[in-house]
Amino acid sequence: MLDPVLVIAASTALAALLASAASHKLRDWRAFNGIVRAYQVLPDALVPAATTSLALAELGLALALLLPAWHGLAALGVVLLMALYASAIGLNLWRGRRDIDCGCSGPGAAQPLRPVLLLRNLVIALLAGLAAVPMAERALGALDIFVVIAAGAVALLIHVAVDGLLANQPRLAKLTGR
Amino acid sequence: MQLLIASNILLWLLLIAVAFTVMALVRQIGVLHSRIAPAGALMVDKGVTVNDPAPQVTAADRHGRPVNIGYRAERSQLLFFLAPGCPVCKSLLPAVKSIAKDNSGELDVIYVSDGDFTEQQALIEANGLQQATYVVGPEIGMTYQIGKLPYAVLIDQAGTLRAKGLVNSREHLDSLFETVHLGSATLQHYLHGEHKHDHAHDHAHPHSAQH
Repeated sequence: MLDPVLVIAASTALAALLASAASHKLRDWRAFNGIVRAYQVLPDALVPAATTSLALAELGLALALLLPAWHGLAALGVVLLMALYASAIGLNLWRGRRDIDCGCSGPGAAQPLRPVLLLRNLVIALLAGLAAVPMAERALGALDIFVVIAAGAVALLIHVAVDGLLANQPRLAKLTGR
Repeated sequence: MQLLIASNILLWLLLIAVAFTVMALVRQIGVLHSRIAPAGALMVDKGVTVNDPAPQVTAADRHGRPVNIGYRAERSQLLFFLAPGCPVCKSLLPAVKSIAKDNSGELDVIYVSDGDFTEQQALIEANGLQQATYVVGPEIGMTYQIGKLPYAVLIDQAGTLRAKGLVNSREHLDSLFETVHLGSATLQHYLHGEHKHDHAHDHAHPHSAQH
């Protein structure tokens, strides 16, 4: 049993994160298809169906996370989705195909596959685990709602910043020659 | 209690502000990374010295017509060294073609390649180079000591080698012309302050090769 503020804040942050990920995928669906094809985990014919269902699944999970009745199940769904992404990345790392675009941070932030991306997925999955914990019964006041929104905003901003740092890292490595 | 709540709200607001600042900083670093001055065309080998007369060599183009390189002529020459098996060379061909078109009055672009003739033919057809001067043979590359591809050499009307370098992007190609204006052997020399001033007449202040 956790305090509801913690759980709801985690769900809100996750919902915002998934919604932004889905919007990246839907806005540049063609590019996303290309990225999924480059992963070579699916036959080419299945790729458009897979990308559409991934984007819709992210949207659906984002909505379900905000519904009190569904959020526990949705959080488990997010853990599964992150595990799926991580296994696709892990498989290509194992194949040694490090030069394909991760597709992690939307279009325009291409970055090669690296083990650190698995860590990123793990952190998101841990956040989803936090959102899946059953919450204690407690009346929520205005301050609780404020904390939920503030924490969600901070989590999202940090997520964007970390994504940016991860995308910059290979470019910096190229500059310094290491 | 009242004080604690107020301080907590204030801390949250400040934390949001800090997180926002960090995100903005990361974004700016990303923009800087994509805008960092392109490295000029690299001169990786010794070969022929820039601002010396270019070695004179005559080779037959793919139709058997003789092509004179390094002689005094009416037009400057841009030698573009490529190979069918070099993807970067192919990605640069549109840029080379547009340079040839933009400077058709004063510049002859000569494509120099070597290797299997059917592959050359496929490359020529795929890139619409039927009308271009296209030399297949090792003579020119050996004379100019080309070790890496894609490589470009710029020779002026007097037969002087003006600029040369390994070119991996349109910016690298442009940098060859830029260095001629700046009077330096390569952009690297220029950036490191080793430039001479004898050719800098039409540039009151130097500008970078970014376009």
